[in-house]
Amino acid sequence: MINKGSGSGMTKTTIPTINFKEKAEELLPEGASFEACLTCGLCSSGCPASGIENMDPRKFIRMAMLGMDKELSTSKWVWACTQCKRCQHVCPMSIDVSQLVFLARSNWPQEKKPSGIVRSCQLIQSTDSTSAMGLPPEDFVFVVQDVLEEVRELQPKFKNMQAPMDKKGAHFFVNQNSREPMSEPDEMVPLWKIFDIVGADWTYSSKAWAAENFCMFSGNEEAWREVIKKRVDAVNELGCEIWLNTECGHSYYTMWNGINRFGMEADFKLESLVTYYARWIREGKLPVNSEWNSSNIKFTVQDPCMIVRKAYGESIAEDMRFVTKSLVGEENFIDMQPNRSANYCCGGGGGFLQAGMTEHRRTYGKRKFDQIAATGASYVLTPCHNCHSQMEDIGHHFGGSYGVVHFWTLICLSLGILGENERTYLGPDLLECI
Amino acid sequence: MIEEDRHFTAELAVIGTGLAGFAASIFALKRNIKTAQIGNTGAVAYTTGYLDLLGSLSPDYPTSIEDPWQGIEQLKSSHPNHPLCRIRKTDICTAFEQFTSFLGECGIAYTPPGKSNLSVLTPAGTLKPTLCIPSTMKVGSTAFSQKEPCVIIDFKGLKGFSGRQVVANLKDKWPRLSSSRIEFPDMVTGEIYPEVMARSLEVPATREKLAKILVEAAGDVKIIGLPAILGMHAPDLVRQEMEQLTGLQIFEIPTMPPSVPGIRLREMFEQLFPQKGVILVPQQKVDKLEFIKNGAQLSLSDSFGPITIHSKSVILATGRFLSGGLKARIDGINEPLLNLPVTQPDSRREWYREKYTDYRGHAINSAGIEVDSSFRPLDTRGQPYSRNLFAAGVILAHQDWIRGRCGAGVAIATAYKAVEEVEKLLR
Repeated sequence: MINKGSGSGMTKTTIPTINFKEKAEELLPEGASFEACLTCGLCSSGCPASGIENMDPRKFIRMAMLGMDKELSTSKWVWACTQCKRCQHVCPMSIDVSQLVFLARSNWPQEKKPSGIVRSCQLIQSTDSTSAMGLPPEDFVFVVQDVLEEVRELQPKFKNMQAPMDKKGAHFFVNQNSREPMSEPDEMVPLWKIFDIVGADWTYSSKAWAAENFCMFSGNEEAWREVIKKRVDAVNELGCEIWLNTECGHSYYTMWNGINRFGMEADFKLESLVTYYARWIREGKLPVNSEWNSSNIKFTVQDPCMIVRKAYGESIAEDMRFVTKSLVGEENFIDMQPNRSANYCCGGGGGFLQAGMTEHRRTYGKRKFDQIAATGASYVLTPCHNCHSQMEDIGHHFGGSYGVVHFWTLICLSLGILGENERTYLGPDLLECI
Repeated sequence: MIEEDRHFTAELAVIGTGLAGFAASIFALKRNIKTAQIGNTGAVAYTTGYLDLLGSLSPDYPTSIEDPWQGIEQLKSSHPNHPLCRIRKTDICTAFEQFTSFLGECGIAYTPPGKSNLSVLTPAGTLKPTLCIPSTMKVGSTAFSQKEPCVIIDFKGLKGFSGRQVVANLKDKWPRLSSSRIEFPDMVTGEIYPEVMARSLEVPATREKLAKILVEAAGDVKIIGLPAILGMHAPDLVRQEMEQLTGLQIFEIPTMPPSVPGIRLREMFEQLFPQKGVILVPQQKVDKLEFIKNGAQLSLSDSFGPITIHSKSVILATGRFLSGGLKARIDGINEPLLNLPVTQPDSRREWYREKYTDYRGHAINSAGIEVDSSFRPLDTRGQPYSRNLFAAGVILAHQDWIRGRCGAGVAIATAYKAVEEVEKLLR
């Protein structure tokens, strides 16, 4: 799939030129040709990357149609587009710019690509963990065991709690974003507590446990395939029925899209934790309520593009709102505008957080900052690590006063089981509610 | 990978997410009909927000008409097959009332249908007749009729909307109209879009900053016209607050597509319909529609995989060429979903007249599908294709909605009629 274009024989530091028009004809499904573009500008009008590097989605398509391949092949804008697919979502002709952006990214020589994204992909490939932070399997096993022992010791309610590792035949194969075991291990605990309360039959795997996958964002299709292969093999090996994705957006999308794209055999289902939060609350297994929020602290949610617009669509957006309302009270939930599949990417996706283009990323994120500000909410809930980090960063940068919290934190807060070390993201107002 | 099939059942499946499709779902909600709606991004986002009923009797009477109700009477003698001539006027009026009141209840207030057309501004500063308008635009219509002093504001970096152009086109009719160009607060230089400004104005701090600039730009004048940028999902509140902050009367003028009033409508429908119980599958087209015993089966896919919908009835509101309801091919025009016969000129040579702007219009624009008195599409034998299938909107033959300024009228009125017939079938 990776087009070498006219790059063969060029020096390593030259970006080869792609024939975008020709490639578009190969890549795009029937009826979605770029020639169908009406140039109406709905894509650019609703794209936070419009204007960055003097480019926008409509311009990208027009330039492709005009054969301005050299300019497009070398445009840094492809690293500012988060491939969130909002342009396609609002396009009456359903034109998908993100496919060409992926193609353009893959065409950049490795040494010219943003080093942060490339490095994250290399680290993923460096161990059997598939961790973007390079945490090897034995270290992951150790951290999990260490944290578990501490919780059992210090929190009597959970003295028998389990965090199973490599348990064959477990119902759920649970993945984990590396940020927790690597940087904030106590953040794993609320999730274990939730599994404990609902009586879930789950396991971690020492191999391919990590969630993140920056190889897709680096445009390295082969590496993307390898990572997914490792993960699929690990789940198949343990014989689990469900690969349960934790609160991380792109990990779901890269796995789900990758399995289909590469035609892999996976003997299991892919599910998001959000779906199960909603199910367990509906079934009464997770007896959360909003009584703790007597001071009516307001919350909004950020729909991660990777699991809402680009994957599940409305059903998971609805589940997310059901869970949020159950946790904070219907009257304390304020929806962000726009929302669900029409939601804007926060600017943390597509590897933007790792790309080292801080100024551009914040310019992009200003739209999200405004949307959060318009809700007047004190907290944003989101089941996505990149959204989480980006919204925290733009909040600090633009002088916002909101906090960003994980669902697992609020679920445990509502249940009165949030340990002292598990309160990193709570502001004084939420701490008072404990 | 193990995937679960998704099945939905409904009493009514609306195919199409343009004005006719959304109107059909609104009327079905009113009648407690369990509805599923599917459609690719419709042309709703291109609308000005104005809801025309009938603005011209083109080609017989190519100038604007003031009384659309009288106009329909005239149409009955000149174009008896026009869809608007096949629906009782009281039903058309009820349809507009229900449609606009639904929009109002959902946060976008509209003027109710009146006895005559309003004369409203286009993005270029020309005038057009229409029946109902968003409340955010009402002051403009009144100010124009009373020729009040007014300033049209435009913005640096905003393409497709020029205060000077509006003034130049209206100066003979509106002498005390002037224009002023300002900078939108906190916007980086370069091209800016109405959508971006509208979303930005949902933030109170932006409203305060813009209010100060507007007061300065207005000078002694008390009425200002802005391109349609007053918020996205709560425009009436944003306008009200801007008026309070500035002490001015403010109205909106639609802009060129992509225009905020259209995006407002689409986002509102997409958010509210699922909350009201409609099974909405937006941004997707139906791949296959088959009629089986006592109903229909719709097959489609979204990004997550295949979906099957079983429904007792179907309303086809798939629009014309842009939306894919009709397809123009080398050998003629066809209807791609069911291959319904399309009334059309005998040959391609007759599709268009020599001059594109010919006021008599072009034959291709009146092409479309035929329906019986219950708005059931007809097959090649002139019989209803299925007792469970109905049609609404501009896919219908014998209307030229652009020249007739009757797009919303055809969409809303025929959707009302089709849903009424669906209810008869179901109950």
